Amino acid sequence: MSTAVQFLAEGAATPADFVAARQQMAFTLGFHIVLASIGIGLPALTLLAEWRSLRTGDRVYAELARRWMKAAGVLFAVGAVSGTVLSFEMGTLWPGFMDKYGQVFGAAFAMEGIAFFIEAIFMGIYLYGWDRLSPRAHFLTGIPVAVAGVMSATFVVTVNSWMNQPRGFRLVNGEVTDVDPLAAMFNPATPTQAVHLILASLMVCGFLVASVYAVALLRDRRAGRVDRYHRLGFAIPFTLGAVCAPLQVIVGDFASRFVADHQPAKFAAMEGIDHTQAGVPFKFGVIEIPNMLSLMLKFDAHATLRGMDSIPADARPPAEVVKTSFEIMITIGMFLLALAAWWGFSWFVRRRALGRGGRLAARVDLPWKPWFLRAALTAGVAAIIAMEAGWTTTEVGRQPWIVYGVMRTEEAVNPSSGLRYGLYAVLAVYAVLGFATVSVLRRMRRRPEIGSDPAEPGGPSPDSGSEPEIPVGSAR
Amino acid sequence: MSYADAALALIVTGLSAYLLFGGADFGAGLWHMFTRNRRTDREVIEHAMGPLWEANHVWLIFVMVMTWTAFPPVFADIMTAHWVPLSLAALGIVARGSAFVFAKAVPDHGGRYGWVFGISSVLTPFCLGAVATAIATGADGWLSLEGLYGGALTTMLCAYLAAVYLIWDARRLADQDAALRFRGYALLSGIVVGVLALPGAAVFGVHSPLIIVSAVAGVASLVLVARHHLLAVRVTGALAVVSVLWGAVGRAGLDLDAAAAQDAVLQVVFAALGVGAVILVPSMLWMFVLFQRSAPATAPNPEPAAPAETR
Repeated sequence: MSTAVQFLAEGAATPADFVAARQQMAFTLGFHIVLASIGIGLPALTLLAEWRSLRTGDRVYAELARRWMKAAGVLFAVGAVSGTVLSFEMGTLWPGFMDKYGQVFGAAFAMEGIAFFIEAIFMGIYLYGWDRLSPRAHFLTGIPVAVAGVMSATFVVTVNSWMNQPRGFRLVNGEVTDVDPLAAMFNPATPTQAVHLILASLMVCGFLVASVYAVALLRDRRAGRVDRYHRLGFAIPFTLGAVCAPLQVIVGDFASRFVADHQPAKFAAMEGIDHTQAGVPFKFGVIEIPNMLSLMLKFDAHATLRGMDSIPADARPPAEVVKTSFEIMITIGMFLLALAAWWGFSWFVRRRALGRGGRLAARVDLPWKPWFLRAALTAGVAAIIAMEAGWTTTEVGRQPWIVYGVMRTEEAVNPSSGLRYGLYAVLAVYAVLGFATVSVLRRMRRRPEIGSDPAEPGGPSPDSGSEPEIPVGSAR
Repeated sequence: MSYADAALALIVTGLSAYLLFGGADFGAGLWHMFTRNRRTDREVIEHAMGPLWEANHVWLIFVMVMTWTAFPPVFADIMTAHWVPLSLAALGIVARGSAFVFAKAVPDHGGRYGWVFGISSVLTPFCLGAVATAIATGADGWLSLEGLYGGALTTMLCAYLAAVYLIWDARRLADQDAALRFRGYALLSGIVVGVLALPGAAVFGVHSPLIIVSAVAGVASLVLVARHHLLAVRVTGALAVVSVLWGAVGRAGLDLDAAAAQDAVLQVVFAALGVGAVILVPSMLWMFVLFQRSAPATAPNPEPAAPAETR
């Protein structure tokens, strides 16, 4: 179909409104994705802490679990409303998309709604049941929260992966027919995208929560204090992030190979391949390694890869945005992987040191080095940036299509004029919302006395070792 | 009964539930703002609304997802035509839901969120009601006379429902004075909403037996409120309100058969809803039982009394 005609016939009222619609969707989804990540990760962290508390009877774990679930409750509420906004925007911004394809992917949203409702109900039971249920029953009511969170994220991602790999319908004279909603959900892009996103969510949540405690640990250090509450509050989430980081590298590798095979335009943009050629170099920032990309992707240094020049001019994504955001994601991913490696190594050394007592004892303090805590402090925000960058890569890399190869984004947009005023209103409300959320969370995190030991003499000493603090992940 | 009919029945059921439960939440927000005895009444309202989050918006999400899945062109047309009031309603839901949870999370600083909660509690049902009326009457947008009337009527219906429900909660959670106040609000808003609704039905030429149902249930509710039958009035009050919605649905001339999704789609959706209901219904019942149970006698205070040192 001729794009120019389509644009005139079905496009936005003005180009500015079209851009505004895309920016509004990007902004609200980008906002929601952070809350959704915490909604997936924080229940898991809470359950880990509560499980340890049940096993050990240690009140510090119980206190951490209680704090995290309270924060999860607030963030869940904000995530619920920011998710509701997205349901509205599906229609107010992209009615053309919903009109034509709503029935193809609608079932996935119905399932997402159910999973979300289950999550909400058990979140209520879990929060409200702290003192009303037996500890064991209370722990068990938390499991559906975590499971349903992962499920609802997966169902939503099936819709996005369907937009990348549309399946489960036929177009006859422009009409959608032979709809198979399950084939649409389980399209080829679903497995990698879903796992990639869930790991990213756990990393965002883990590193973000840990970064809050990194601040406290640095302060403790300056005050010459050892605080188990802060140490465990750091160790549990950081370990979760650290376990996910190497897995994410592997899944990310799968995902980029999938994109190379199925969405050549997006891959050419990501890797900056301008011309189809044999023996493509690997370019990253200013670095360029001859033949490396061909070797990495096809295990053949002279393999031919498709470049942007093989894509029709009117079907090319904005390559610079895609490449830059992809590089940001990779860079931060490597940074997080390095932090994870150091964390694992330092705990390994610490355990040996605690075992031997003598020669290695000085290294007991290894996981709590200030330089590491300072780096870990940035890991939370860095993980969020990486996630947003990765999401930008896949979304902008799919352009100009809203449904890859089938429907262009400008065919989907609401033709009403004035969409840009909607964007301004949303930006204003969300600015206040973001500010208020942070301010409320800051007020909520008053420091409990439990677990801290301000009286311990002798400055930043390694703790006595009577009860080695093993991060939860490594204990299993 | 075709799959499309079943989908429509589910959508109307979802809308009814949203009006009866979510609507009462909106109305509670209105009384939260206007009530004279602020401290007691606000506590009653906040306690009655739930411990965590306004879960009743789930009904709205359900209605939207069902509409775009079962009748995609209808959804697209409505959202295109009414994107302004619907966007305002969405922002109202954001403001309301977050203000509510923020005020609960930090009670000492909750005051600043009170007015956001109140205003958005009026704005949101007004916009949604205006859109619903514009769809039902075929009027020209939410700022038409019909739309404004429908918005005001919906807001008042919500206020009335909330007051009716809250009389019982006030007696259970607070004192006789608070119960009497909400009783007064219920009588007042009941009379206003009756005066507002019946001429509307006449002007729009609604010739449905539902008018009689609504009127009878409304009058019965006034009598029941006056006579302190506080649980029975919840039923008649709800019936009086929801029959207005059903009347509006009957008026709306939407071409649903031509817009319906394919049967294969709706089969999967219904199967998912069936599986979901098997999990959801017992969980919900358990949650309600748990919430009705009173708080433990010695609730341990998670916040230490020691001077709060902020990190």
